[in-house]
Amino acid sequence: MFVLLRQLARVRRDAGLQRGPRRSLALRHVDAGSCNGCEHELALAGSPIYDLPRFGLDIVASPRHADILLVTGPVTTRMAAALRRAYDAMPEPRRVAALGDCALGCGILADPDEIAGPLEALLPVDIRIPGCPPTPEAIAEHLRAALARH
Amino acid sequence: MSIQRCAPGGWRDAVQAVLDGGGRFAGAWAAGHDGTRCWSAAFTGVDGELSALVCRADTGAVPTIIDLVAAADWDEREAHDLHGLRFDGHDPLRALAAHPDDAAAWMTPAPRTGVHDVAVGPIHAGVIESGHFRFHVVGERILALDPRLFYKHRGLERAAQGRSADAGIAYAQRACGGCAVTNTVAYAQAVEETRGLWPDHHTRIGRTLLLELERLYNHLNDISAICAGVGFALGTMAFAALKDRAQQLNQHLTGHRFLFGTIGVGASRLALDRAATDRAREVLRDLRADAATAWRTLEFAGPLQARLDDVGVLSEADAARLGAGGPAARASGVATDARSTSPRLAYESFTPASPRRASGDVAARLDLRAAELQATWDILDGLLIAPIAPGSATRRTAPVPLGLSVVESPRGATLAVVETDDDHLARLHLRTGSYANWPALAHATAGNLLPDFPLINKSFELCYACVDR
Repeated sequence: MFVLLRQLARVRRDAGLQRGPRRSLALRHVDAGSCNGCEHELALAGSPIYDLPRFGLDIVASPRHADILLVTGPVTTRMAAALRRAYDAMPEPRRVAALGDCALGCGILADPDEIAGPLEALLPVDIRIPGCPPTPEAIAEHLRAALARH
Repeated sequence: MSIQRCAPGGWRDAVQAVLDGGGRFAGAWAAGHDGTRCWSAAFTGVDGELSALVCRADTGAVPTIIDLVAAADWDEREAHDLHGLRFDGHDPLRALAAHPDDAAAWMTPAPRTGVHDVAVGPIHAGVIESGHFRFHVVGERILALDPRLFYKHRGLERAAQGRSADAGIAYAQRACGGCAVTNTVAYAQAVEETRGLWPDHHTRIGRTLLLELERLYNHLNDISAICAGVGFALGTMAFAALKDRAQQLNQHLTGHRFLFGTIGVGASRLALDRAATDRAREVLRDLRADAATAWRTLEFAGPLQARLDDVGVLSEADAARLGAGGPAARASGVATDARSTSPRLAYESFTPASPRRASGDVAARLDLRAAELQATWDILDGLLIAPIAPGSATRRTAPVPLGLSVVESPRGATLAVVETDDDHLARLHLRTGSYANWPALAHATAGNLLPDFPLINKSFELCYACVDR
């Protein structure tokens, strides 16, 4: 089954599919060792005040339904494997977003034995959302820009 | 603070003597290496005074105390995994921070006939922190839950070692976004104790204000989360919007929505003039009125209320035995709150809130947060009645190498341990309110239905980040 999934992923990537006219991006979040600040703000980005879903930006429960993997935290050694599996489960075309300064490799507080990151070293990062943590407005702004690009 | 030293042979007797004197376990930590290894425990006395027992662990082995103090279970398991200590009599000594491949090394031994394992995480379906839950179920009924955390272990305590005590506060803050003020105030107070410093009036006022601002947005968040636990979107969104307004006030007052960087060692930089405090009181008055309206809506929301009673019950005896703290313990009838014994903060004449019915279920934990919000609104209004001035700390006692401090977080008492060597960190340890409550959450889950777990989990709303560190 996994052979077929890999084949399909390659076929879809090589096909260079264009998205349809209704613009939307499905987001899957993975906490790879954050302080929970980014999670607080990401959750608020979907609340009535910022309301990301109105732009077609929805958080989905499975990476198999996701266009964008939103990763927070410096990527701990214990989350690296789970993060990789979530990425592998995503269909092409897929994008990775580094959410917050830790995911972007601020790294000043890291114990090298416990940190596998930064994210950039493990996965190809397409979208960078800086901030400690980024405010809901900043998250909404970056994701809307991504929506316009992809 | 008193420190008593003993050898492994006298460890259990020393612990028993402190317990007999009314001391409550506040946390334990391993320190030193090779020939200087120690295993220490902190206790809170009836008056809130902290004391420490330090046991030599030259051989790497110490007798267990989990039969005397059930709450020390996770502390011993963590010290075994991260510091290599052995605990004679703690059998089986299951892995906590380590993640062995063999499930038997970390899971509760359970009967294997008719019992199924349900594995959830570390990545969850919603926007929440990473952690793994292993449920042992018969049908939909949960027999036992093993939370497997430490997926987010960043080695913050080890990374802080060797830094100057002033620089170390960054590590305490990074432990957790939602408890950043609690953790940094606890850290600052512990360092100040090692330096023999006592905070002045302005520092006490400034820190108390920030702690209550932190509690405010957390409690609003937690009420929102409980609504999310039953899929009651109206309540989730209403309280998320209230929480955002509280965080906008944080931004306005301190420049940061989570109040990061507001706490310093030996000083308080927070300065608010009359116009700023008046404006803040006005914002809080509006927020309080809107929160009261939203709360009334929740009280009459049938689909929500029908899910809360008798779910995830934590009995008073279990809460006390397992060392639960904060809203979870108070909802079970254990009326402890570190705010009532915090002379380094401005909580004069504080009394812990109690729920209308201390039934220890989800309903009581929700109700208690609403009751605590009342105290928080009042405290904030009282503190903002005058301008807030920067403060400092003054030398009152001689410097000592060990500092302990307990601060009430939105989730229970958080202990900060600081051991210094020439004002550099030899050891930093945070045992947060969440850490103390995870075993109680797992216990309260047993016997419930699997689909109720998200709700039970949200009613405790414990952090993963400041447990994993």
